[in-house]
This record gives sequence, C-alpha cells and structure tokens, in this order.
Amino acid sequence: MSDHATGNDLLRPECERIIAQYEEKRSALLPLAHLFQEHEGYVSREALRVIAQMLELTPAVVESTVSFYSLFFRKPVGKYVLQVCRGLSCSINGAPEIMAYLRRKLGIGSLETTEDGLFSYEEVECLAACDRATCMQVNLEFVYSLTPQMIDEMLAAMRAGTYPVAPMARTDSPPRTWKIEPQAQVATGRRTAGATDVPSADDPGGVGDRSGVIMLDRFVDKTAAFRDRTSERLARDPAAVLHVLEEEDAGH
Amino acid sequence: MPVTKVLTAGIGEVDLRNIEVYRSRGGYAQWERAVKTLSPADVLKTAQDSGLRGRGGAGFPTGRKWQFLPANGKPRYLVCNCDEAEPGTFKDHMLLEEAPHLVLEGILLGAYGIGAHHAFIYIRGEFKRGYQIFCEALQAARQAGYLGANVFGSGYDLEVTVHRGAGAYICGEETGLLNSLEGKRGEPRLKPPFPAVEGLYGCPTVVNNVETLAYLVPIMEKGAAWFAAVGSEQSKGYKIVSISGHVRNPGNYEVAMGTPVAELIEIAGGLRPGRKLAAVQPGGGSSACIFDEHLDWGYDYESMTKAGSMLGSGAVVVFDDTTDFVAAAYNLVRFYSHESCGQCTPCREGGHWLERVLERFVAGRGVRGDLEMMHRISSNITGLNLCPLGDSIEPFLKSVLDRFPAQFEARIARETVPA
Repeated sequence: MSDHATGNDLLRPECERIIAQYEEKRSALLPLAHLFQEHEGYVSREALRVIAQMLELTPAVVESTVSFYSLFFRKPVGKYVLQVCRGLSCSINGAPEIMAYLRRKLGIGSLETTEDGLFSYEEVECLAACDRATCMQVNLEFVYSLTPQMIDEMLAAMRAGTYPVAPMARTDSPPRTWKIEPQAQVATGRRTAGATDVPSADDPGGVGDRSGVIMLDRFVDKTAAFRDRTSERLARDPAAVLHVLEEEDAGH
Repeated sequence: MPVTKVLTAGIGEVDLRNIEVYRSRGGYAQWERAVKTLSPADVLKTAQDSGLRGRGGAGFPTGRKWQFLPANGKPRYLVCNCDEAEPGTFKDHMLLEEAPHLVLEGILLGAYGIGAHHAFIYIRGEFKRGYQIFCEALQAARQAGYLGANVFGSGYDLEVTVHRGAGAYICGEETGLLNSLEGKRGEPRLKPPFPAVEGLYGCPTVVNNVETLAYLVPIMEKGAAWFAAVGSEQSKGYKIVSISGHVRNPGNYEVAMGTPVAELIEIAGGLRPGRKLAAVQPGGGSSACIFDEHLDWGYDYESMTKAGSMLGSGAVVVFDDTTDFVAAAYNLVRFYSHESCGQCTPCREGGHWLERVLERFVAGRGVRGDLEMMHRISSNITGLNLCPLGDSIEPFLKSVLDRFPAQFEARIARETVPA
C-alpha cells in the first residue's frame, strides 16, 4: 500500500484485511467501495481517491468501475433507500399498483430522494424473490409480499425512527472522517495524463500539466520547446518550481 | 413424479445455518472423506460419471468443464457463481440463505476436484443478508478446521474468499464475473481464451453455479450412479425449479429432471380458479415461451430445446389468460436494455430501440410496420455479441409476437409515424 494513503484509522485495518484476501489488490475495489458506502452513505469523491491510492490506480479508473454498478451511489441518498422489484414475476402480481402507491405516498419518482432526506426511491430489476411478489428492499433488507397497508406501516415507522432496519449512514453529519493529504497526489506519480509511467514517486511527472505536453516534448528531445513550456507552466504554478529546478540542475 | 428433496432437504424444517445441525445430518462428511481418502481425480471422475450439468443456465457438463483446465503449473481457481439475477430465478438466493454449509461444502469439493487452493464465491450485491449468513457459516467452518492450511492434516491448503457484487446482471456471465472479481467493470471478455485456460488473474479457472456445486455433496455421498439413474437421456439427476407467476403456490420445488411441465404447474398449486393457461416461460427471462402443446413434455434440457426454448436456470414463469403480453415483452426487453453493458453495438443499440418501440405499444400508440420492424431489429441482435445477453432479448419477444399477434395489433393506432 502506498505510504501516502491516509484513510482514517477506523477503516484502515479493515481495508488492509480486505486487500490481503486477494492475489491482486485491484480485486478489493468493489469491497472497498461497499465499505466506504456503508460508512458514508454513498461513494464520495474523496472515497474514490482514497480507494485509488490504496489500490494504486487512478481515481478515473476507480470512478469508471464504480459507475458500472447500480448499487453504488455517487451522491447522498435518503436515510431509507426503498428499492421495489419491477421484474416480470412481480409485475404480473401487483408490482405496478404497489409502485404507484409508493410514488404517491412519497411524492417522488424512481431515482429520486424526498426533500426531507428521509427516503430515496428506485424501481429495480428482478430481486430473486419471485415467489413472494411484490418484493422490495429497504437498505438491502428484503420485505416480501407487499400490500398498501404494509407500506403505510413501514413508512410511519421510518418517519418515527422505529423501523428495525438501520438507516443509511448520514452524509451531512458528522463530517467525513477521512481526507487525502495534498502531497500524496503528486507522490503516487500517476496523476498526469500522458505521464502515467513516471519512473519514481519522487519524479514530479508533468509538473501537474494534465495535457502531458511538457513530458512529450521532453521525450521526443525537443529541448527548447520543453524549456519554453516549462517556463510558461512555472509562471502559472509556482509550486512546481522546486521540482523542475532540481531536475535542471541534475543535468536533464 | 413428486417433489424429491435432495438439496432442499431440511429447509424450512431445521436450522441448517447452524453448523452442528448441518453436521448432525451428515454435513461435511463428504468433504472429510474426499480430502482424507480420495484424490482430486476421483472427485472429478465422480462428477463426470454423474452426468451433472451446469445449473446456472448454460447446462454445460460439469466434469467436462473441469477437464479443460491445462496443467501448466499456474495456480487454479474455483469461483462459485452466486450472482443470481435471471428474471424468475430464486433458487440460489434460497440455498445461500437457508443452506450455506451445503453451498460451502460443494465449493470445497469442487475446489478439491480441480486442485484449486483458493476458491471464491461471488454473491449478488443485493443478497446482503445471504452474504452475512454465508460469512458466518464460513467462519464456523474455518474454526472447525474444514478449510485453511493443511485441512484435516492432509497437507492440502484451501482458502475461500467471499466477494460481493454491486448490482449488475451481466456479472452472472462468467467472464463478466471474473472481470468484476478482478475489480474491473463487469464487461464480458472475448472468448477464447475460455476461463478454463485464462480466467481469474490469467490463470485456469472454473466458474460453477451454486446449485451445481451443491449437488456435488449428495453425488459424493450416494454415488454418481444414483444421480445418473434419474432423469432423461441428456439431463441427469434433480433440479430445483423456481416456479412463479400466475400459480397459487409459487416457490422452489426440487424435482427429477424430465418431470412433465404440466406436473410442475400442479406442484405449484395450479392456476388460480377460473383462469386458463396462456404460456409458460421455462428457463428464465432469456427463454422463449412454450404453450399448451408442450405441457406433457418433460422438463429437461433436450425437450425444452426441442420445444424451441431452453431449460436455462430452471425458472418457470407461468402466465394465465389475463396476461398482457405486450407489457410482459416490454418488461423483459427493458430489463435487457437496462442491463446491457454497452460493449457490443447490436445489444446496446438494438435493445434500446426495441424498448422504445415497445414503450409505444404499451401506451397504445403502435405504428403499422412496427411488428415487422421488431422482428428485424431482434434478428439483427441475436448472435452478434460477445456474450449471450444480447441473444436473450429476442426469444421471449418473438415467441409472444408469433403467438399473440392480436394483442400487439390491438395497440396499433397509426399507419405511419407523423412527420
């Protein structure tokens, strides 16, 4: 694991345990996203970056992967996520009526969250409980053979805070418990487009130029162009000065 | 032929999640016997002789799948596919939650049979409860010394890792599953190479369904001949059939292969009073419907194929004469359109446009020529994709279009699309 990963003390041991289960650490991507979502209510941008660091991937790769899976939320959701099955077996056994009832009761449509932040609602694909149609999940706990009366009771209990399923982790408070130290971004050596194979963690890569143009000039031996662009870059980004000057001194 | 409880024995009667209860019924005895007295080749031979075929959908002979693994010195992996999401299927969900030790023992036997030292179970993300139950079972089995280093002092090491998916039907496809297990988008891979040659981490890998692996336990106990004696020519043994839809007692029923379709409907309590049968979808959302004329056919791989459909994952959805087949077709097409990973154009675009056209029908605004167009679109999807998801769109739609054209024609409101 990168020395610069700074996931909080609470999650770090669990993250390490998960990663150690696999021959290749990238396999831990989904489990880690699950873990962070459990703690934060959704997979935040910060979580993506922490996961990327731990697995030595770019945040873009992690984001691309996470976005493939419908159970990962990329923005805050309600305390109770209600996911009703719209599969065929449920559909021919009352699901359309149940869904209409829920939409009316909640005042929202599929993939929406109520204004009070209490409920998110989604109509999902077959939940593999066709013998107990219509079924739904509340924060991934099954509820079977739904009736309007059951829905009334469930919603009332959720509003009263007495519903037996744990609410989703709240996303507004307490504040997030992990952060990334700014320096770590550079040190992974993987940030700059066009310079993904930066030789060492100490190499600044394209000094933060996401276009990668500077590095390209350097590789194709256009020394003058490299110097011009670097100067231009330095003018915009004083923080990069030190790295580049050191490089020049070393005779590059 | 009545219901025969093999894998389902004890479910709903005793607490099979408790390792002591499972053990008191002979649980883990086959695993102990295999490790102590049998070679992996013995297990493989038993699986092969039993005629067991994959219960996840494709129906590939299990023993033959194992034999494809090359002896190239690379580690081998067994992956148990518990990403059950085929519309209408709910058997693995039950086995995972109600008989986790049986599933685990099947995994252990399968891993031993192919000589793997690390096995995985990929559990559908929605099965959070099942995941917790299985993790507890695994923990109990580990404490009992059934897995880990040097199992039963035999020198054989075997580790099992539980991996949760996160909501993607396509990860039930074995190469999509392997990508997902490697921490990637669950996009199916180009085959060959097949997983047997290059699977997880580029190593020889077998992906078997939950029910397939679970059947290894009774097969090891009672012998390959016991299993092979039941069923039809090409479909041996038993099968858990998930029956749902318009029946009075939907549920999982374990029957001998070859049980007539009509009998399956009876086992599930029959139709509701005053209703008549319209169609049966015999093998999950991907399968074409069969009808009255097929009711006395045996429920087995070859008969269902002959009937123009397939046995698939063993999900039987029964439709009575109140069914709106336009809405049903829209429901399934929308499902595949939603679950397409988007890699292959025919599946991604074809599914999407079929969904749009059917949406029009559901709203009663079909256009003359749409029926012909739907046939044309679907025939341009089937067979042109990396994985079978695209091929799953056409069968149900085509079968109900052919059988119930009047239901579709009744929704045609216009001769042409307004300019």
